[in-house]
Amino acid sequence: RVSSDGKPPKFQPPPKPVIIDKKTQKEDKRFLSPEFIPPRGRTDPLKYYIERKDMIQRRKVFNIPEFYVGSVLAVTTADPYASNKSTRFVGICIQRGGKGLGATFVLRNVIEDQGVEICYDLYSPRIQAIEVLKLEKRLDENLLYLRDALPEYSTFDVNMKPVPPVDHHEEIPVNKLQVRMKPKPWSKRWERPKYNIKGIKFELPEHKMKAAQKWSQPWLEFDMLREYDTSKIEKKIRKELSEELGK
Amino acid sequence: MMPIWTKSGEKHAVTLLKVQDCHVLRYVSKEESGGKTAKLLVGGKNVSPFSKPESAHEIFKEAGVPRKQKVTTFNVTDDAIIKPGTPLYAAHFRPGQFVDVTAKTIGKGFQGVMKRWGFKGQPASHGQTKTHRRPGAISTNKAAKVYRGKKMPGKMGNIYRTSYGLKVWRINTKHDIIYVNGSVPGHTNCLVKVRDSKLPTYKDCNKNPPFPTFFADGDEELPEDLFDEEIFQFTDPSVTFA
Repeated sequence: RVSSDGKPPKFQPPPKPVIIDKKTQKEDKRFLSPEFIPPRGRTDPLKYYIERKDMIQRRKVFNIPEFYVGSVLAVTTADPYASNKSTRFVGICIQRGGKGLGATFVLRNVIEDQGVEICYDLYSPRIQAIEVLKLEKRLDENLLYLRDALPEYSTFDVNMKPVPPVDHHEEIPVNKLQVRMKPKPWSKRWERPKYNIKGIKFELPEHKMKAAQKWSQPWLEFDMLREYDTSKIEKKIRKELSEELGK
Repeated sequence: MMPIWTKSGEKHAVTLLKVQDCHVLRYVSKEESGGKTAKLLVGGKNVSPFSKPESAHEIFKEAGVPRKQKVTTFNVTDDAIIKPGTPLYAAHFRPGQFVDVTAKTIGKGFQGVMKRWGFKGQPASHGQTKTHRRPGAISTNKAAKVYRGKKMPGKMGNIYRTSYGLKVWRINTKHDIIYVNGSVPGHTNCLVKVRDSKLPTYKDCNKNPPFPTFFADGDEELPEDLFDEEIFQFTDPSVTFA
């Protein structure tokens, strides 16, 4: 090497070997339903353990499939007032909320030009079947902006056939669809950085997009008090789940 | 708090209460206490004995029990007297019973009159000078004084309050947990007193409760979970309406 002063080049220690354990990586990437991860708080972990036992019990009897926000689901519920005593609703999952037994998911569809959103409890005994018609992810964690998007992005055929998933078991397809919006006013100012939405094709003028950046909080990602490292908790829960449900 | 579903598909919210190291500490007879019934002093939740002087440990030493964080009294009839030193478990209660729960409410500190008493305050604009959350008038002209107990700003919360008539849905005997309908005063992990309901509608509700209490070394073998009849068990298939 060309040295600048005629002195020998500074000693560079060899790079440390990075050991990538493929097995543990595979296990960590497998799907864990978000309602199993306990929220940060001062409650006794015993409460979450007992709730998890009930959730596992329900999952043994009733199959709750893996799905993400952005997948299209069909849910059949027991309804005392319907003619067949059951109602079937097809929609795209916009939001998954709640932790533990009270976990919910909201399905959205546009039926006869009327937008309909139904919020279901995942562990409610009235749900008789959940089928995933199309398993895919979107660019955002929640798709509440579909309320202000053009209705074509929320319409799904009620008699849609289930789309068989592509054979890649580890990779769920991410639909990088950029949605076109109805003219403003919207229910929320989706262009603001606090929502951090990547799935909208903003057709707003440049100065409006710049003005929205005024509300950005770039220090938030460095805030250490907001960090919640769930890796160890997730490992324990995954182990528990695989023991109970894997049988 | 947790949701619980009945067999007809209705959802109810339920609070979990854990019975942690409860022991009977002392028996006070009717004449000694001067009340209408005998009393039993019960203590809950073990705590280190080093933060209090020796004089405070007498009750616990007599009963042969580590120092407890909270000691409460229960008014008890003469046939329900228990020997001091017996542990009390969650199985003392049965599903389908009704219960009153007492605890200290969450302390909110010094609060103004709008939050503490629900006053309406004054409008935000239209000429109000420095008066938006004040109590306004505190008495009339003729009274010429302010009555005792006038609602005014002050320390709010951190007082004992009771929720009456809460149904017990489920009991976990392994971890000593009582599932009680609705919400309960107090913050998470606070100490709470659970007592049979004194409401007149629930006077005859207890069908064969363990009397005087559930003894762990007795002959009864209870299953790990006791459910009320109406609860939907997660081992059953989904609910269908006929």
